[in-house]
Amino acid sequence: MSLSTPLRRSAATTARVQTSTTFICSQCRHATLLRRPKRPYQFTQLITMTDGSTFTHRTSSPVPVYRSTRDTRNTLLWNPTSSKLKSVEDDEAGRLAAFRAKFGRSWDVNTVVEGEDAKTDQPAKSKEAAAAEAAAAEEEDDNLLDLISSFGQEEQQPGKKN
Amino acid sequence: MAASEPSRYLARSLPRALVPSSRHQAFCWRRNVSDQASSRAPSAALSDLESTSLSTSLPDDVVKTFKPLERARARKTQLPRSRYQFRSPKYDRGPLHPHRPPPPSDPSSRVFVPGPFSLPRVEQTWQSTVASDILTLLYVHNPPGFKPPPKAPRLRTWDESSPYHKNRPLRGPRGGDVLRLLRKPITFNNIPKIERITLHSYVKKAATENSSWLHVAGMALQAISNVKVETFKSKTSVAQWHIAPGRDTVAVKAELRGENMQHFFGKLVDLVMPKLKDWQGVKGSSGDSSGNITFGLEPEEMALFPEIEVNYDMYPPKMIPGCHITIHTSAATDKDARLLLSAMGVPFYGKMVN
Repeated sequence: MSLSTPLRRSAATTARVQTSTTFICSQCRHATLLRRPKRPYQFTQLITMTDGSTFTHRTSSPVPVYRSTRDTRNTLLWNPTSSKLKSVEDDEAGRLAAFRAKFGRSWDVNTVVEGEDAKTDQPAKSKEAAAAEAAAAEEEDDNLLDLISSFGQEEQQPGKKN
Repeated sequence: MAASEPSRYLARSLPRALVPSSRHQAFCWRRNVSDQASSRAPSAALSDLESTSLSTSLPDDVVKTFKPLERARARKTQLPRSRYQFRSPKYDRGPLHPHRPPPPSDPSSRVFVPGPFSLPRVEQTWQSTVASDILTLLYVHNPPGFKPPPKAPRLRTWDESSPYHKNRPLRGPRGGDVLRLLRKPITFNNIPKIERITLHSYVKKAATENSSWLHVAGMALQAISNVKVETFKSKTSVAQWHIAPGRDTVAVKAELRGENMQHFFGKLVDLVMPKLKDWQGVKGSSGDSSGNITFGLEPEEMALFPEIEVNYDMYPPKMIPGCHITIHTSAATDKDARLLLSAMGVPFYGKMVN
């Protein structure tokens, strides 16, 4: 062990001396073509949204003015609180209400809430609301389950009116 | 205080100048480039050997006729462009070549891209409202003196139960080998932002039929994104479509950054997404859990882009491709990215998975 150590050391030193002055720089012999970036031509386009607001943007379309028929301003997904965009039946002449008065409404049980909402838009709103409240009061006495099920709907209605 | 500073520096620097240098200069004949020529006394032996260009005198007639200003004024026509304009070399021949191209930021460079030329609406929205909203929503208040509890190291060490554990590299995290991105607290300088958008479409008919599918897909992507597309060969083999890896060019990709990206994102959100039929939004489970959200558009939905809509007849109707749109954000988690995108107007639905 003691004999071998100095031999190793000397070998290490000679190796280091040989490689100490190497200047490391990666040289590539080939030439790389510098391609000019391709930038397609763009026009400035004025976009008119459905509510009349406009903005300009750069586009490859040559049409100067783009009128959109459907965008974020008139889509329900972006305007969840808008009552206009909801698919609520408009019953201006009251014919649907007359039909329901005659034949009942068991065939559209699922849309009861919307039907009531449509009724509130009519001029005879106060009577309907009073009747609904009276009905709700009766139901409170009748059944606890009805109360629970109607709780959410009661809360929704003032939100829709506003 | 400020007036006393120069005097202090002066007092410190004066003795340094007065100290004689340790090396005697008269015996030192070695010359460096950095030395001033006048600092060394030129010996007679050296002046015989070399004559400096500074000491040579020009003949008088040359000096008298050298009038560059008058020469320029007397010129009737403009010089050719090559005489006054620098042109970057066409090829980059490596770092050791004497003619190096200028950096890409230099306007004379061949790869220089000028711009931005407009302030896109999306960028303005982000700056004016979205950034401050996100900063407020993601604010976490720590009372003064609060120290977060120390976390375990992400890479686990080996318990030294075996002698073979010595010098082993650290173990990966529990329950998987993937090191997730670290989520730093959101402050004013790392508010999530859209970094780039990648449009990618895989056209399988390009391999089974002919390359015209690929050309149409590339033109459609370029029309909607204003970026030249790159084509890619298949990496996997699909036996049913006769696609072999490395042989068939099957995909095109466009990578949008900066202004192109902002304009594309604006029209995607404001014009295209509302027109999609029966579309609930981007699925909440999409994303790669490091802040990049992907969703797809069907071929018929691609036709809703105003650029394709305006000359729809140009494209063969069956060849319009669908595409995958990846929105790369600077957020580190999908939750932050979703918050950013929903603030910018992208709806999400379903269960949100991070």
